[in-house]
Amino acid sequence: MAYRVLIADDSPAMRSFVRRTIELSGFELSACFEAGDGAQALALLRSEWVDAILTDINMPGVDGEELLRRLAADDLLRNIPAIVISTDATENRIARLLALGARGYVTKPFRPETLRAELERTLGVPCD
Amino acid sequence: MTEPTIREALASAVADVLESMFFLEALGETAEPPPETTTVTARLSFDGDPPGCFHMRIASPAANTIAADFLGEDAGSLTPQQTTDVTLELANMICGAVLSRLESSATFRLGAPHIVEAPPAQLPPEEETRYTVETGNGTLTVSIQMETRTCLATEKFAS
Repeated sequence: MAYRVLIADDSPAMRSFVRRTIELSGFELSACFEAGDGAQALALLRSEWVDAILTDINMPGVDGEELLRRLAADDLLRNIPAIVISTDATENRIARLLALGARGYVTKPFRPETLRAELERTLGVPCD
Repeated sequence: MTEPTIREALASAVADVLESMFFLEALGETAEPPPETTTVTARLSFDGDPPGCFHMRIASPAANTIAADFLGEDAGSLTPQQTTDVTLELANMICGAVLSRLESSATFRLGAPHIVEAPPAQLPPEEETRYTVETGNGTLTVSIQMETRTCLATEKFAS
């Protein structure tokens, strides 16, 4: 089964890297959308359904935390699992983001297999 | 926090980021390059306990190679903006990895990294803790200054 994923990050280089890493990991994508911040992500979600959202925290405007709040407050979007990708590996931050509704958390730096495993866990993909 | 602890965190973070995200094995600690070497310097501020500044200076050939590896493109086809974006992301990841090692139970906030257009001939104030590694295409120097008040307030939390 192939999945539709949205990557929200203000760094074009990071969006490109995440997309390539997912593909290299063998995780099947049928569509991959990109957004430069939370507002763009929310706008895109009005017209495109995705299976999972991968989001940075520090973004201009609507940042990752606010994106999680708005997703949680939206009846149509709250069930889309969001995974945070961040350099911040501190316990407090991870706990905070999970409390806001993140279903997963991947700390940079990460290996392709780590990202794939978190996507599969979050989406409930059976192990091979 | 002792200098050896911070240096160990710098070395560990650099090796981890280069290997995991750039598929590059650091070739060991080396001396800082002479001031006339062509380099790119990135800087970011962070808030936490304590706050401070992080600098990264990378030889231009190393920056190009690392950007190409990160983006999966040929080094010759990269635009200057792509190299800049990856350099900033590299600085962001190394700084975050260092702080996560030093403050695993605290919370910190990283400012937006930016390129220092006219870097000083040398990175240091002497009180900064620094670490230089050979990448195979030039050196990468990182330095961190804790509890500083010299960072510009406008640099902080721009993203």
